[in-house]
Amino acid sequence: MNPRPSYAIGTGLFILLGFAALAYLATQTTSVANIHSGDSYTVKARFQNIGQLKARAPVKIAGVRIGDVQSIRLEPQRMDALVVLSIDKQYNDIPDDSSAAIFTSGLLGDQYVGIEPGGSPTFLKSGDELVLTQSAMSIENLIGKFMVNGGPKSSSASSAPASGDAPASGKP
Amino acid sequence: MTVAVAESGSPSDALVQVRDLRTRLGAKLIFDGLELAVPRGSVTAIMGPSGTGKTTLLRHLTGQLRPDAGSVRVDGEEVTTLSRRALFGLRERIGYLFQNSALLTDFSVFENVAFPLRQHARLPEELLRNIVLTKLQAVGLRGAARLMPSELSGGMARRVALARAIVFDPMLILYDEPFVGLDPIALNQVLRLIRTLNRTLGITSILVAHELAAIRQVADSVCLIANGKLVAQGAPDELVHQDSPWTRQFFGGDADGPVPFHYPAPDYATELGFAGARP
Amino acid sequence: MNANLRRNWLVQGIASVGDCGLFFVAVLGALPKSLRYWRETCRQVWFVGAMSLVIVMTCGLFVGMVMALQLYYTLSIFGGTAALGTVVALSLFRELGPVITALLVAGRAGTAVTAEIGLMRATDQLDAMGMMAVDPLAYVASPRFLAGLIAMPLLASVFNAMGIFGGHLVGVTWLGLDNGTFWGNMTSTVSLHKDILDGLYKSIVFGGVVSLIAVFQGYTAPPTSEGVAYSTTRTVVFSSIVILAFDFVMTAFMT
Repeated sequence: MNPRPSYAIGTGLFILLGFAALAYLATQTTSVANIHSGDSYTVKARFQNIGQLKARAPVKIAGVRIGDVQSIRLEPQRMDALVVLSIDKQYNDIPDDSSAAIFTSGLLGDQYVGIEPGGSPTFLKSGDELVLTQSAMSIENLIGKFMVNGGPKSSSASSAPASGDAPASGKP
Repeated sequence: MTVAVAESGSPSDALVQVRDLRTRLGAKLIFDGLELAVPRGSVTAIMGPSGTGKTTLLRHLTGQLRPDAGSVRVDGEEVTTLSRRALFGLRERIGYLFQNSALLTDFSVFENVAFPLRQHARLPEELLRNIVLTKLQAVGLRGAARLMPSELSGGMARRVALARAIVFDPMLILYDEPFVGLDPIALNQVLRLIRTLNRTLGITSILVAHELAAIRQVADSVCLIANGKLVAQGAPDELVHQDSPWTRQFFGGDADGPVPFHYPAPDYATELGFAGARP
Repeated sequence: MNANLRRNWLVQGIASVGDCGLFFVAVLGALPKSLRYWRETCRQVWFVGAMSLVIVMTCGLFVGMVMALQLYYTLSIFGGTAALGTVVALSLFRELGPVITALLVAGRAGTAVTAEIGLMRATDQLDAMGMMAVDPLAYVASPRFLAGLIAMPLLASVFNAMGIFGGHLVGVTWLGLDNGTFWGNMTSTVSLHKDILDGLYKSIVFGGVVSLIAVFQGYTAPPTSEGVAYSTTRTVVFSSIVILAFDFVMTAFMT
């Protein structure tokens, strides 16, 4: 006589469902495991500055996602960031003279890698490197450039209070 | 059938021996030096006015409740000082029939009777089935094995509970109010079972009950408890004709006597305010 | 008179907290023995867990959908709707999943456990077990406590998964957010350790707290019909308060 198999099966199903949900959350909503719907190939790109780019950020051509950032690490000899891009196998006809740049989606959005296709008749293969790259635009740099280009006006303005300061401090 | 009376039985052949039992529950003094002896193989009825702690006495016998002072010996073991493990060992040899049967509502009749066996003995399913069906046959409910407790009448539930209480062939069965709420047919069925279990298997029985007619049919001796003490003991027929105020009131059913009609209260006239008005 | 009454109240409140603590120790002490009754534990997991699935899944779905709607509106003010997936997932995993699941379980399974044990007490079933040399703590209390501990994190995970599904349904399917953005931002921000596991720890603690309160209230319920009804109410009230208080304390420690 098996004591009440109905709830034993129910309990088993419940526990399996619970763990399935947990596994789903752990793998599908975090960056622990890579989700590649199909096969992919990897391409390298070097950037002077990657800004806020993170692993698993999207890679896009013309705004369409074609893959994601697999890893980011610092190349010690050259002191630049080596970014490995994982691109879906179905997009295997990207010209090998394409350029990569880091963009920001929206004002506050995350950053992504955008690829600008070139005109070469040969295509990117796994392990190739994108030579032409453009670093992330950082707002601090932009403001800094603006301040520098704003030129004499701002520099004279900043020196004026300094010169006014000196006699004041020298007085006593 | 010899009538076993505690005074004549030496302590050695008493299965249950209670000495100088004192218990206080809250502000109420329940037992005040109770002495009791139940001989092996007898059916002893414990009677007394409501609220004298008859059920409390049963709980002392099984160690569910520890008394403030005194000694309770069951089969030579001092219940009041037993460890939990030893107490559980003792309880396996005692059957207890609860007033409201206390069947486990989640299990069928069969599983209820099988419950103690499943918990304490690793028996092959075939053997377990046979034991359970034998016990159910003894109480006449083998055909009801598949029913759930909610489908049973009060009398049937009590018989199932009895089957469960005897599943380990105990040496002692304690019946707490076994006749309450039963129709005459069910009452006689339970009565017959108590007698059969005692006469054929020699199981010592202690029953707490109020039904004098039923007790006269089954009990060898009656212990009358009142005010926390044993006030009378003897064979039922003897006791009914005994001339003491306690037995006269209890068996005669007088409203007033040693057990007062009035709950203790201050003087009636004083409470109504007449006493103070008097010069 | 009033002050006296209030002090009595306070003293009794403290005493009942102490009782509950002692009961917790007793239940823990009975745990090794209750392993023999694993079948009973299994039955309780079925009762607490599997029987709560429908309500937990439904509520998870709706909470996810509402969150997506509300947050889409809020985020669109700042032009940050791309973060919708992230915000929904983080709120669910860290806060709403464990807390709402615990409240639901307290309401559905906790009350049932209290009423069941209270009635077992009232009908002498617990005493009967003791008389059959079966420790009711090990057979009745500990399996139900253990079942809450096991079932709660699993239920919270199911709740979260349904919440994500609901958020995706509203955000992507109805409001037309980009599917890749929804998932991409979520996966790049949610961390297994800090978000999912922390939420899981919370729900394990809640599972223990809810089932302890339910079992304790049932065990100490006065054996009358009002007594059981009153204890059932107290299970919900105390569970809710303790869940939210513990939630605050644990969040403060985890972040």
